[in-house]
Amino acid sequence: MARIDLQAWLPILVLAALVAVVSLYDPGFFTIANLLEITANTMTLFLMAAGLTFVIMIGSIDLSVQSVASMASCILAVFLPTLGLAAIPLALLGGVVAGALGALISTRLRIPTFIATLAISGVVLSAGFWISNAQSIAITAEARDAWLGWVTGAFLGVPNEIWVGLVALAGLSALLQLTPFGRLIRGVGAQEQAVIASGVRVERVKLWAFVISGFMAALAGVTMAGRLGSGSPTLANEFLLPAVAAVVVGGTAITGGVGSIWRTFVGALIIQVVRIGMTFMGVSVFVQQIIFGILLIAAVAATMDRSKILVVK
Amino acid sequence: MSDAVLEVEHVSKAFPGVKALDDVSFRVNRGEVIGLIGENGAGKSTLLKILNGVYQPDAGAVKVDGRPVRLLSPRQAFDSGIAMVFQEQSVLSTLTVAENIFLGREQEFLRWGLIDKRRMNAAAAVELKKVHLDIGPATPCARLTFAERQMVEIAKALSLDSRIASDITILLDEPTSVLESREVELLFSIIRDLKARASIVFISHRLEEVLAICDRIYVMRDGKVVAEVPAAEATVHALHTHMVGRQLHHEYYREQRQSPPGDEVILRADGLGKAGAFRDVSFELRAGEVLGIAGVIGSGREELARVLAGHAAPDAGALTVHGRPVRLAGASDAVANGIGLVPAERKVEGLVAQFSVAENMTLSALGRFASRGVIRFAAERAEAARWVERLHVRTPSTAAMTGGLSGGNQQKVVLAKWRIAGVEVLILDHPTRGIDVGAKEDVYELVRDITADGLAVILLGDTLDEVIGLSSRILVMRDGAVTATFDAPAGGKPEQVRILEHMV
Repeated sequence: MARIDLQAWLPILVLAALVAVVSLYDPGFFTIANLLEITANTMTLFLMAAGLTFVIMIGSIDLSVQSVASMASCILAVFLPTLGLAAIPLALLGGVVAGALGALISTRLRIPTFIATLAISGVVLSAGFWISNAQSIAITAEARDAWLGWVTGAFLGVPNEIWVGLVALAGLSALLQLTPFGRLIRGVGAQEQAVIASGVRVERVKLWAFVISGFMAALAGVTMAGRLGSGSPTLANEFLLPAVAAVVVGGTAITGGVGSIWRTFVGALIIQVVRIGMTFMGVSVFVQQIIFGILLIAAVAATMDRSKILVVK
Repeated sequence: MSDAVLEVEHVSKAFPGVKALDDVSFRVNRGEVIGLIGENGAGKSTLLKILNGVYQPDAGAVKVDGRPVRLLSPRQAFDSGIAMVFQEQSVLSTLTVAENIFLGREQEFLRWGLIDKRRMNAAAAVELKKVHLDIGPATPCARLTFAERQMVEIAKALSLDSRIASDITILLDEPTSVLESREVELLFSIIRDLKARASIVFISHRLEEVLAICDRIYVMRDGKVVAEVPAAEATVHALHTHMVGRQLHHEYYREQRQSPPGDEVILRADGLGKAGAFRDVSFELRAGEVLGIAGVIGSGREELARVLAGHAAPDAGALTVHGRPVRLAGASDAVANGIGLVPAERKVEGLVAQFSVAENMTLSALGRFASRGVIRFAAERAEAARWVERLHVRTPSTAAMTGGLSGGNQQKVVLAKWRIAGVEVLILDHPTRGIDVGAKEDVYELVRDITADGLAVILLGDTLDEVIGLSSRILVMRDGAVTATFDAPAGGKPEQVRILEHMV
């Protein structure tokens, strides 16, 4: 039990240690305003990683999240002038469709999710280019103020992105902890055959996991477009690796069965603080993905009991 | 005994809750064909796995050519001259015959760092000749029949001959269960040829075959060697008696609680069949009845159980539940029609080890424990606690991880799951496998409880003894067909020998 408890708390301890270290270097880091801004900056990554958590918890993977986020930003930017508010659900619908397709291809054709979502990722990437005519599309300030205030504004002095993130944290946590669906997500990840043999239609559980992943990736894309004031088919490039890393660094097992949304929240913050720390120490942006890659492997190595795995493919 | 090529001396091996081997001694002489027989769970597989280096004995020694050896891996066993031909075939279908025969020994055929295919194929042809197998060494194994693969596997074992100087022993685990009678004859003639070069241990359920090919026969029961007889002096009947041993214990199987079956037919099968597994199986299952299915591996009873549980689809015949025709396209259909499977592989299909006791118990009826989409945790806990008490599950709490419980208590959790789900038919696939004697009696008691509550049970017992003791009716299967049906009312149980006649 001691080992499990340590694993549960380790990510928080790591986050605290990282914050402490960065604060030592930069006294301006540990201020309310700065911490709020960092948290706000983390939220797009968190939204994407929170949806991905469901997929990783069933022992699968969704490699399409960054393309989905980019496509959603394009749908939003293209249709906001004509459709107004309706462009937002349309963008989210794009994510839902992409997620559902990945799940259906995987369950119906019995294709590993890693392949199915890799293929979907390509389709969705091209869809983004097609919708946007392969260019960045600006969202006017008026449109932003009119429809995206829930992203760009602030409430009680706290940036709205944080509120969006907290609502997602609370809602998805409740889904995972309190509902039969959440229970089955854990069960499928831990011992899928037993869940099937118990009469559960596991394909549906998987379908919903991927729909949530697609929806949250699209929401991340919409949020990102709101912040940056534009949509682009390459907007969320370089988000996949940090998103997977956030889930795993938070302590969700890559093999499935164990995990939670708040862990992913902590994991996303760790990724963000590491990013800021690196920027502060003058590490080039281009080198940062190297660090995330190493972090991902280290986190998997630390959290997984690899002695019980017979074959690694 | 200087003639002994392989000796097992006073070997014991225990697993949690089970003493699999208890002071077993066993000797194979040069050029001898040894028969090893016993019911499921008698300890044959454990003994083979020790000889093959998969398990290490807790006590006792294994000697090759009179020298003690420590076999820590199948490779070491192979290098010591012990080759195993597996029941579940280990031929890789994507490789050629030659590549399979020399799998793991490619080093011997390297030229400039590349495999010299021509030389390997030539060497393989020599081995194939030994088993009279007329196929090209470069044939992909995917194209071979089951029997041919078995021969390739034997050829692989024989390739030891050209590799080590000492004597070789070949362990054949149920080699004939998949063979046609013509192929069995071929195998036997090969075995007779082999006697000049190798010793053979022949494991089979088919006693006539054992008598036909073996020189000496060891009979195992409950982890012990209970008899060692020269084949010339043995009869099928005598071997049966040794295998079965004890008489029926009426109380052990709670026979006094066996109730006569009710009138209502719950499940009915008409001419059910699945290609390559079983055919034309018909029966009626009544409320309060225990229908035992007896049969050896390959009889088709395991597949029949999976079809009835919706885990596999039949390709012939019909199933009705309460007179309604049903099609079971998946386990969810079976559960929806009130059929639950208690699988032999408890930790794979029975329960989620990482789930708590309560979470496992409600897994099949989760919807009932939720209102407006939220799990009613208090109600779930209360229901689980009720079943923990009713079935005497020994667990620290309903929140304890199920994986930490003993086998018997895990089995009770699986049973509670189906009782909570409200199934009417329970398929018990080896319900007492891997659990200790005391817990077995608990399970027998539970079977009686289940039928007393009006449920029907289909039982695939671990031993024939168990099937007879628990069942009210027994379906006997052999080679995919039902060969006999016996009534087994309390106080009027059929004799084992009579059932065995229809099994093998």
